Amino acid sequence: MLVPLAGVVIVAALGLAGWSLVAALRGVRPSRGQLVGSVVVEALLVGQAMLAVVLMLAADRDVDRVTFLGYHLTAVLLLPVGVAWGIADRSRWGNGVLALAAATEAVLVLRLLQIWAERA
Amino acid sequence: MRSGPGRLLVAVYAVFAVSATARAVVQILTKLDQAPVAYALSGVAALVYVIATVSLARSTARSFRVALGAVVVELVGVLAVGALSVVDPVAFPDETVWSGFGAGYGYVPLVLPVLGLLWLRHVHRTTVEG
Repeated sequence: MLVPLAGVVIVAALGLAGWSLVAALRGVRPSRGQLVGSVVVEALLVGQAMLAVVLMLAADRDVDRVTFLGYHLTAVLLLPVGVAWGIADRSRWGNGVLALAAATEAVLVLRLLQIWAERA
Repeated sequence: MRSGPGRLLVAVYAVFAVSATARAVVQILTKLDQAPVAYALSGVAALVYVIATVSLARSTARSFRVALGAVVVELVGVLAVGALSVVDPVAFPDETVWSGFGAGYGYVPLVLPVLGLLWLRHVHRTTVEG
């Protein structure tokens, strides 16, 4: 795992979560801008996952591979599912779903950093 | 399919269904012999979240009853496993979603079944009266 990239992903995910939370509180439905933001966060997650696999295979220390890859796969799949589930609801609650999905991504990346740090 | 607040509730349940299932599968496949009771309960918790997620997402009379059952089992489960893990921590060496009343997940597992029951009451009222 590239720690600076993980930091960027976490900040981007939290940014999307905050944006969606504010939109939910304002009572509006998800905007086109948020969809673009989701695509950016998803691109970062996919890039991070691909890089992480390469770093994992090249690493001189063993990482818990099943858990590590499982978290990366979950992180890559979660946001598209969350966006699909969220925008299908054209109310403020769609933004709630988006905020939840983005905040969960930040937690997943934090857990990934822990798993990476625990490699022995 | 649910719309409005129910949609967010289903999303929270889905997150727990995925994380509890992943955790239980790893525990049961790799170290069931270390703490069979705790990891079996971990699997039960995962199953309950999956059933609750699917039945809350659907809006039929049957899914309502299934959801109610799942959420009640979930509430009993988090209280029972939470209490057991505090009384007998040796039997629960590894975190499960319900250990310590869900402390490892910000106590969301403790709050979630209550929200689930409130939501089902709301659904029941609007269906019967509306």
